[in-house]
Amino acid sequence: MSGLLAIDTLTGGYHDTNVVFDVSVQVAPGQVLGLFGRNGVGKTTLARLVQGGLRPATGDIRLGGRSVTGLAAYERRALGLGYMPQTGMVFDDMSVRDNLYLGENRCPPDAYFDRFPRLAERLDQKAGSMSGGERKILAFVRTMIEDTGLLVLDEPSEGVQPENIDHMADCLKERARDGAGIILIEQNMTFLTQVADSYLGLDAGRVCLRGDAGEVTDGQIKAALAI
Amino acid sequence: MSSVLVLNLVWQVGTLALIALGLAIVFGQLRIMNMAHGEFVMIGAYAPVITAALGLPGWLQLPVCVITVGAVALLIERTVIRHLYGRMFDSLLATWGISILLREAVELIFGRGYQSVAVPVPGTLYLLGADYPAYRVVVIAGIAAGFAALAWWNARSKVAGRIKAMVGNPDLARAIGINTGRLSAASFVFGCTTAGLAGLILAPTVRIEPMMGLDYLIRSFFALVVGGLGSLEGLGLGTAIIAGTQSLFGAALSQTHGYLAVLFISILFLWLKPNGIRSSSR
Repeated sequence: MSGLLAIDTLTGGYHDTNVVFDVSVQVAPGQVLGLFGRNGVGKTTLARLVQGGLRPATGDIRLGGRSVTGLAAYERRALGLGYMPQTGMVFDDMSVRDNLYLGENRCPPDAYFDRFPRLAERLDQKAGSMSGGERKILAFVRTMIEDTGLLVLDEPSEGVQPENIDHMADCLKERARDGAGIILIEQNMTFLTQVADSYLGLDAGRVCLRGDAGEVTDGQIKAALAI
Repeated sequence: MSSVLVLNLVWQVGTLALIALGLAIVFGQLRIMNMAHGEFVMIGAYAPVITAALGLPGWLQLPVCVITVGAVALLIERTVIRHLYGRMFDSLLATWGISILLREAVELIFGRGYQSVAVPVPGTLYLLGADYPAYRVVVIAGIAAGFAALAWWNARSKVAGRIKAMVGNPDLARAIGINTGRLSAASFVFGCTTAGLAGLILAPTVRIEPMMGLDYLIRSFFALVVGGLGSLEGLGLGTAIIAGTQSLFGAALSQTHGYLAVLFISILFLWLKPNGIRSSSR
C-alpha cells in the first residue's frame, strides 16, 4: 500500500498531557479509514495532530512522502490536507456563501446543491443561525469542494438527518473513487461501515483494533466500543 | 452654528476617525490593547522632520512616514506582539512599555522641544460662506475618499473575508489554508500605519513633540467605547460623538469642559451600553 498519509509512532496531546500514544497508520489514495472508539479515547486529538492544530510530542507524520510534522495547519492544507472539525466547524458570523467560497483552491459548490438543497436556499443566511445538523452539512460540503488529496472528517453525521447522512456517504465514496484518501471519525457505526474500507479502533489513546473491512468483524468492533 | 465651527467639527471627526481606525483594527481584530498607538501617531507626525533631516524633497514625506512607521510596527510585531495575540492584559502591559521606549527614543534623537512643519497646501478656500484652510479641506476630502474605499474593500475583498474568518474562528481559518500569523502581522502593521498617516496629516496643525500621542490614544479609546468594535459605522458614530462633544463644549466653554464632557459620555456608555452603539456580535 503506497502511503498518501503515513503516521509513525505518533504520541501527543494538549500541552504536557499526552492523549494518544504510539499510533502508526497509513492511508492510501482511495482508501477510507474509519476511526472509531468510545468518547474521550483520543480520536479528535489524533485528527488534530494529523491536521496540524496540535503539535506531537514524538513521532512523524508524512504527507505524500514529505514530513509535515513541523508544519502549521495552513501549510498542511496547502499540501492537500482538508479537515472538518467536530466543533467550531463553520464561521458563525459569515454567510453560507462566504463559508463556501472563502478558502483556497476549491471547486464551485453547485454540484452538491442537488444533494443538499437547503444550502442553496440559505446562501445569504448567517451560518451561526442554522441548526447544528445544517452547520454540519455546510462544513461537510466546504470540505468536499476543497481541492485536497486527503480528507480528515471528525463526526460529520452528528445531528444530521438520515437521508442527508446517506448523501454524505455517497459523496465520500465518490471522492474516494476519485483518488482521495479519507479518515472518517464516527460514532455512527452504520454510517462508518457504509463508507469505510478499513478500520482503526482506539482505546485510551492506543490502537486496539485495525484491519480491512473484510477482516474486522462486528463483534470485534462492538468489543472495541465496549458495547 | 457658524460654518467654520461645522468645518472644524468635520476636521476633528475625520482625523480622529483615522486615528481610531488603527486602534479598532488592532484591538477589535487582534485583541491587542495597543497602548503605543498614540506613539505611532507621534512617529508619523515626525515624518516631515525626518524627511527634512535626511535632505529629501518634501513630496517624500508620505513614503518616509509609511516606511518608518511600518518598519517600527513590523519590528514590534515580530519581536513582541506575535507572542501576545489573545492575551489582552499582557499586551496592554507590553505595549505600555513599548510606548515609553518609543517616546524616549524619539526624544533621544530629536530632543524634547517642539517641532513644527509648514502646511503643504497653503491658502484658503471659500466654503459654506467662510474662508477655510485649503489644507484641511483637502485632508477632509482625502479621509472621506479613503473611508469610502475601505468600506468597499471591506465588503468585497477576499482579504477582508479572511480577516473576518481569522477573527471569528482562527483554528478553522488555519485549517482552510489561511496563514493567520502573516495576516495578523499585516493587520497590526496596517493599523499602526494608519495612525502614522494621521500623525503626518496632523503634523502641520499641531505642535510635534514626543508626548503628543497620549491625547490621541485616549480620545481614540473613548471613540471605540462609544461606537463599539467590529464595524465602520460604529467607528464613525463613536468618533462623531467624541470629537463632536469635545469640539462643541470646547468652543462654547473651554477645552477642559470639552474633556470632561467626553469623559462623562464615555463613562455613561461603559455603564449603560458597554458594547457601544454598533458592536459586532462577538
